[in-house]
Amino acid sequence: MLDNSAQPGITSAKTPSKNGKSVQKRNRPPSKGALILVAPFVVVMALVGVLPAIYALVESFASPTGNGFTAILNYVTVITNFRFLASFANVGLLLVVWLPMMIIGVVGMALLVDATRGRFGRLMMFIYYIPGALAGMTNFMLWLLLIDPGVSPVNFLLRALGATSLDGILASSSNVIWILAAMLFFEGAGSWILIVYGGLNSISDEVLDAAKIDGCSTWTTIWHVKLPLIKPWIGYLALMNFAYGFQIFLEPQVLNEVAQGLISPQWSPNQLSYTYAYSVGNTGAAAALSIILLVITLAIAMVVVTRTGILEQS
Amino acid sequence: MESPEVAHTLNNQKETIQPETVKGSSYRAGNHGHLGPVFRVVVMIAIGVAFVYPIIGLLVAPTRTQANMALGGIAFGTLANVKYAWSQVMGFDNGIYLEWFKNTVIMVGGGTLLAIAISIPSGYAMARLQFPKRQALLFLTLLLMVMPNTVLVIPLFLEVSTVHLLNSLWPVVIIFGFYPFGVYLSYIHYRTALPMELIEAARVDGLTELAIFFRIAVPLSRQVVALVGFFSFVAGWTNFFLPYVLLPQTQQSPLAVGLLQMISSSQLINPEEGLNVKLYMPELALASIVTMLPVLLVFIGAQRYLQRGAMIGAIKE
Repeated sequence: MLDNSAQPGITSAKTPSKNGKSVQKRNRPPSKGALILVAPFVVVMALVGVLPAIYALVESFASPTGNGFTAILNYVTVITNFRFLASFANVGLLLVVWLPMMIIGVVGMALLVDATRGRFGRLMMFIYYIPGALAGMTNFMLWLLLIDPGVSPVNFLLRALGATSLDGILASSSNVIWILAAMLFFEGAGSWILIVYGGLNSISDEVLDAAKIDGCSTWTTIWHVKLPLIKPWIGYLALMNFAYGFQIFLEPQVLNEVAQGLISPQWSPNQLSYTYAYSVGNTGAAAALSIILLVITLAIAMVVVTRTGILEQS
Repeated sequence: MESPEVAHTLNNQKETIQPETVKGSSYRAGNHGHLGPVFRVVVMIAIGVAFVYPIIGLLVAPTRTQANMALGGIAFGTLANVKYAWSQVMGFDNGIYLEWFKNTVIMVGGGTLLAIAISIPSGYAMARLQFPKRQALLFLTLLLMVMPNTVLVIPLFLEVSTVHLLNSLWPVVIIFGFYPFGVYLSYIHYRTALPMELIEAARVDGLTELAIFFRIAVPLSRQVVALVGFFSFVAGWTNFFLPYVLLPQTQQSPLAVGLLQMISSSQLINPEEGLNVKLYMPELALASIVTMLPVLLVFIGAQRYLQRGAMIGAIKE
């Protein structure tokens, strides 16, 4: 897991956003040294971060036959594909299940850890973090183990729910949603607990003391003091995970291999994009779909960077 | 109070008031008496068990046989079973597992070194030096950092296949070397942990900006190098989508993609699969556990830096 989501736990809590100008004035004139130091990053960013996006944009307007431009034909091809809406509906449902799980679960666990300082709290924090270390395929393997009634360490639970075979479980599309949500939660929760905990930790003791003096109960303090103060972190959590969840690829792709046809190979938009690029070889359509995903993601990223105030910009 | 220990905790400001906090909350629970804290501890332990139980289940799987696993629960089998499972993993496709391991080390090792080499100087320059479009570059870095990297995989595929570099490892190394979060980490590090006075003094001594970076900033960068190295290593090691798309040939696969191959060849999925080895849950579990061992090693190696890294948040200016 430890991908981008692990990030801003390490950043400073307060965000002095508008003081960039005064800092600049104190600094010295541009130095050649600075340009040399940033040059490798700028080159790689152009090559790997910007150029592919521009190239995909150009390709998305290119004609499938390879000569000339066809305006929005590729976009029409993609959007009118019956799998397009279905894939968005799938990730939409997944987000409806998973995001509340993530927000309530992560904030709840962070509050629990925050209320329990000392060695026990630290130990539990560490334990909650462990599953986050099993990212990607290992996390998938763990869930494959859990949901296969033939080998599961929780087979008593599966039996109680009436499941007898892996195929039987995967045949139900709502089961698939819950399984994917559980996979994402299990590998994502740990590092986000750390981030939200960082937010709770930034609440000053004076504020909490004042609440105590005013006679706030534990619940009132949580509801009326702590949660409003960590709103930016909750917003950040929601937006980042929204962007992450609707990009899902690995889990449904591998689950499709396991399920042998029980799940659509184009379950998520990214899988559809992959199919266009690989199996169908329709570069224009693949490019068009990836541009659609890119625009949505970029919009979310803009909001995260400019609105949540979590990330420090000088 | 327990001051020596306090110094080592992540959240040292609040640690000292711990006894009051605990007492206070039980007191505030009022008519519930001590039920509040007890309830909280029980809930926390229950969640902890729910988190750890499946992991233990995965860890002990290779010690059991497929038949034994059908009994469910968690039980430790024998080490002989682990040995057998390993021989099956190694036997799969003439030991291709080791090939995948080597590929992963090359890709992720190269990518991590590149990420460090790129992030440290650019983060320093953005934090401490002035140059045109600095703000714009910082904004773009943040933007690319918060975007899930999956969104660029298909565009990268289109780019890489156009220049006929599919199935070659080095484009993946370069892509792994592009790590905006590492740049951001370095940026935060040099803004908060490097005293401006040091730089000013060096300037007074007539050092050039490059000399200041290499002779003053770099020697004080162990912490941030460890952080960038750790996070980019884990991100690369567990990345699936990018190598899955850019390296379609099994011979070039990293472990993450190789595991998928093992799953889909497994008799667990295809009982009638004509394999020369037996790939059931114990074997698959072992293959995925061994896959994560390097991450564990890197985690242990970087741990003291990670703890201190989490403290960067405490340094607020």
